[in-house]
Amino acid sequence: MTDEHKPHAPAPMVDEVSEFEVLEIAVRELAIEKGLFTAEDHQRWTEYMHTLGPLPAARLVAKAWLDPEYKKLAVTDGVKASLEVGIDWVNSMPTKFGTPSDYCNLRVLEDTPTLHHVVVCTLCSCYPRPILGQSPEWYRTPNYRRRLVRWPRQVLAEFGLQLPEEVEVRVEDSNQKSRFIVLPVRPEGTEGWTEDQLAEIVTRDCLIGVALPRPGKTANDPRPVRPALKPYHH
Amino acid sequence: MSSNIRQKVMRHLELCGQVQPALHEETHAPAPDQIDNAHFRAYTRMSHDVGGEPDVPIVWEEKEEEVWEHNTFVTCEVLAWRGVWNAEERRRRQNVDVGQTQYLGLPYYGRWLLTAARILVDKQYVTCSELSDKIDEVRKRYE
Repeated sequence: MTDEHKPHAPAPMVDEVSEFEVLEIAVRELAIEKGLFTAEDHQRWTEYMHTLGPLPAARLVAKAWLDPEYKKLAVTDGVKASLEVGIDWVNSMPTKFGTPSDYCNLRVLEDTPTLHHVVVCTLCSCYPRPILGQSPEWYRTPNYRRRLVRWPRQVLAEFGLQLPEEVEVRVEDSNQKSRFIVLPVRPEGTEGWTEDQLAEIVTRDCLIGVALPRPGKTANDPRPVRPALKPYHH
Repeated sequence: MSSNIRQKVMRHLELCGQVQPALHEETHAPAPDQIDNAHFRAYTRMSHDVGGEPDVPIVWEEKEEEVWEHNTFVTCEVLAWRGVWNAEERRRRQNVDVGQTQYLGLPYYGRWLLTAARILVDKQYVTCSELSDKIDEVRKRYE
């Protein structure tokens, strides 16, 4: 455990139930008892959550690299382009009206050799869940949200991404009605690759914009993982 | 940003850092003539509007999800699916209405959870007594 977390981690004993756990169960059970939703509704949403991850967004990028027409579609109508990678922003969810929190407005931000995009949500933690899965914890921290908009190059460097002076950095601040993913420049050394091969190097971090894809790199940079007291297994 | 504006912003942020809880201020619930406009703006600042605030580098971490965190997210989404609230209302409640102390002091999903409990009471789906009885009942299961 790092020092800066100690004040925030009073370390409840593992065998002691936390107030969070108690309140979560109480709220869920009351909502079900009062008929606001059913246990089955809750289960269906959980199952929907299990289907989510960064793969569809990675595939969208790979397809855009291979097909200039698809790339045009992706940057002009991200929601329509999502259909071709299996994500329907309206009907993929149990609601059949999209997720309540993500809306149906995906924008694909195209990088160029002299322009790099990176995504943040300064006001909360807006994130394109339907096509990218749940956001990482660091994306939700006040620290990332505070600093990325003011010191983007420094923050990117902390993620291991050092951009040359001549590359403009554009920070896209998400808002309640728009969701963003980054379409990075296709890296050298990927000539002749298939869509599957290309999709493998488009990691979640590349899609947020804190990393760049490169051949042989198929995972996010290793970072410390804060373990859960009672982890949820996806 | 001109240095003049930057100084103003910094003064505002510095003040924000001091006002809550303002136990060191000599007057609580001041008379109108005791509060200036700078303090008014500091007190009415939205605590979730953090973009551009100064902070120091931290270690970027991934995090395992607690069972209650997953369940809380799902409960909030399903409450919206079934029309109890919508996302704007949820966001305002969990990002703004909680106030700065809880906003910065609670875990991310802690705010979601608190807000889900409050919406049931505020919209009169459950009474405060029903909620506290249920909390007691759940706690007893683990004793």
